[in-house]
Amino acid sequence: MKQKNIDNIIALSNDLRWQIGDEFHDNLAEGIYADAAEIVKGAVHKENGNKRLRLDAKIDKIVTSKVWGFPLMFLILAFVLWLTIIGANYPSAMLAELLLNTVHPALKSFASSVGMPWWLDGFLIDGVYLAVAWVIAVMLPPMAIFFPLFTLLEDFGYLPRIAFNLDHLFKLSGAHGKQALTMSMGFGCNAAGVVATRIIDSPRERLIAIITNNFSLCNGRWPTQILIATIFIGAVVPSSMSGIASLGAVIGVAVLGICFMFLTSWALSKTVLKGEVSTFNLELPPYRPPRFWKTIYTSIIDRTLIVLWRAIVFAAPAGAVIWLISNIHIGDLSIAAWMIDSFDGFAFLFGLNGVILVAYIVAIPANEIVIPTILMLTVLVTGISGGEGAGVMFELESASATGDILRAGGWTLLTAVNLMLFSLLHNPCSTTIYTIYKETKSTKWTVIASILPVIMGFVVTFLVAQIWRLFL
Amino acid sequence: MNTYNPLIALLIFLGLSLLGYLFFRPNRGWYWFIKNSSRATDKVIAEDILKRLYHNENASNFLNINDVVRTLKQDEQMVVESINKMTTLGLVKMEGDIVRLTKSGSDYALRIIRAHRLWERYLAEKTGFNKSEWHQRAERKEHELTMDDTNLLANTLGNPQFDPHGDPIPTISGKMAKLKGVPVSDLKVNTIGRIIHIKDKPDIIYKQILAENIHIGSIIRIVEKSSERIVFHSEGEAFKLAPIMAGNITVSVLEKDVAFEEDVLRLNILKENEMAKIIGISKELRGESRRRLLDLGFVKGAEVSIDLLNPLGEPKAYLIKGTSIALRNNQASKILIKK
Repeated sequence: MKQKNIDNIIALSNDLRWQIGDEFHDNLAEGIYADAAEIVKGAVHKENGNKRLRLDAKIDKIVTSKVWGFPLMFLILAFVLWLTIIGANYPSAMLAELLLNTVHPALKSFASSVGMPWWLDGFLIDGVYLAVAWVIAVMLPPMAIFFPLFTLLEDFGYLPRIAFNLDHLFKLSGAHGKQALTMSMGFGCNAAGVVATRIIDSPRERLIAIITNNFSLCNGRWPTQILIATIFIGAVVPSSMSGIASLGAVIGVAVLGICFMFLTSWALSKTVLKGEVSTFNLELPPYRPPRFWKTIYTSIIDRTLIVLWRAIVFAAPAGAVIWLISNIHIGDLSIAAWMIDSFDGFAFLFGLNGVILVAYIVAIPANEIVIPTILMLTVLVTGISGGEGAGVMFELESASATGDILRAGGWTLLTAVNLMLFSLLHNPCSTTIYTIYKETKSTKWTVIASILPVIMGFVVTFLVAQIWRLFL
Repeated sequence: MNTYNPLIALLIFLGLSLLGYLFFRPNRGWYWFIKNSSRATDKVIAEDILKRLYHNENASNFLNINDVVRTLKQDEQMVVESINKMTTLGLVKMEGDIVRLTKSGSDYALRIIRAHRLWERYLAEKTGFNKSEWHQRAERKEHELTMDDTNLLANTLGNPQFDPHGDPIPTISGKMAKLKGVPVSDLKVNTIGRIIHIKDKPDIIYKQILAENIHIGSIIRIVEKSSERIVFHSEGEAFKLAPIMAGNITVSVLEKDVAFEEDVLRLNILKENEMAKIIGISKELRGESRRRLLDLGFVKGAEVSIDLLNPLGEPKAYLIKGTSIALRNNQASKILIKK
């Protein structure tokens, strides 16, 4: 074809484009939909018109009613959490007995019988093995209970109704109602909560949900909160009230986390995230009987085991690092002792101490090993009797014995309160950070999600410490 | 380490927070101030002058150097230097004290206008920025986009004809669609027309128009006209405007046989146990949000009713094509229905 003809055709097509106008695509789409609707109307006969099943409608009326909607929701969530925390104690204790109290000594004696050098046996068994075993014992049972329960509710169709009920609150902070679900999922595990944000299809709201998921107190942090509250908060009230006081403190921290979640969501949506696309829609699917076994199977394979695997991958090197810094000496002090020493002054500003900061640095891979690490380091630097030796994490049977060690390490009520706050407001564990990166594919958002909570944690503990010292 | 004073620590902290706030507070923080003022480079000033000249010459308005300095609100010295430099480059020429664009100068200006309008279009379609921010953001971005960037942008947006205010976007060859419209203030009572353009300058009036929720693409009918106010109906609502605002809105008059839906309502006012038919989605909803609603079945002719009310009032669930979909009120108010 001659060049002139081609030019003519291109010119013509440009002209036509101008004539058709901008709204062409829109009108075409609308026209196709409208035509399809007309055809369906003529060709398809429905038995009972648009009336939905009566049972469905009845359930919906109850779960979204002004009177029953919210109490029902809190009851169900409280029940799931209670079952998770209480129910997980037994299998956790069994796993701990097996992995920590049976296999660990067995491995140690095996190592000494084959004449393994002390450093190799310490590095592998006290370091790597112990951290991995700890994470499995503490993490696996709650997740294996929480995720199937949650997935059953999801499968039944109840969760979208929660999002429906709560959406208005989330809208006020610029977030999506479905964030209520990812937040609840975060109470089980933040990494799983971050994965669950896939249900939010609006980019801005999804990022908000990912970045703020860490404000949900996860399974790895509940035991820390409960232990510290029992030891320190329970002790300042009459013993008849101590149970309620410590429970109240833990719930208070969790609620504080929810407040921070709303606050941060609002701030994010007004500043760094305001340019992201925001849409909203929420489908309320019909209820259906959950496929029980299939749900249990998939939730254990898809959620529990994948998360557990990632946690193990990160916990193993952490265990090695913990053992190494406690056993490698520079001069007459171990690396851990040097670090604790140099952090002490800085940590004092925040009402914490060097041991806590070092524990939070080396235990980034898993919140589960924070308390064992703190105990081990406290024994290491104070030189009090107890513990299992340098670099060997341990936990004690009784809370009061744990309290004795911590008080010997210089802990006060302020230290305890600020530890609880810092446990809520610090960087996500490395499993979660990795998951955030996988989900957002963006270094920027991963960094923001990791740094933001630590900064907030330091600000909050700093303010609490100063005000505490001024007035108490 | 126990000898410090918590009060002083607190005061230092408060001081630092205040400083941080002053630096980074939205819009008026010192950080943004510094960042933006350093942007007023030679290139930016030159391009702003070209743009200003182009718009004025299009309205047969010829500016002298003083006019240029006054309207640009930049340092006089820099503006004069810039004009001198552009004269040697052949972008502008002096006729007496009037500054005129040469052919290459007006081509350059068109390129900047193209970048500006394409970027506004991009902000409207592909981002979540509020529409009151579009213009300011495009004012900055137009100087950063190279010609290749602009063409790539045009391609990904499907070579759009108009920016979100209804202004035509110049093509690569500098062609522009013609606006054949009449300002609302010039229309007779009972005229039916489609809004094709809303002027984004001056800023105050533009923001007032946005606050009234008037938008491009909607069909209006003039109901009342006097020297104090102009009243028109559109998408089920009555709008009362001062003539100065109405003069900034341009409509293209439609033929008489176009059916104007007079008793149009918005979906958010539908009550329980009522049925309605969808007439369309307001043109204000664009990009992803619009496509999503279409996908879900909120299309012309579909029947809709309320499925569930919310204990907190919002969102409500609507039954559409046998599925229950929850929408917030600000979305439902953009779906037009007829009972």
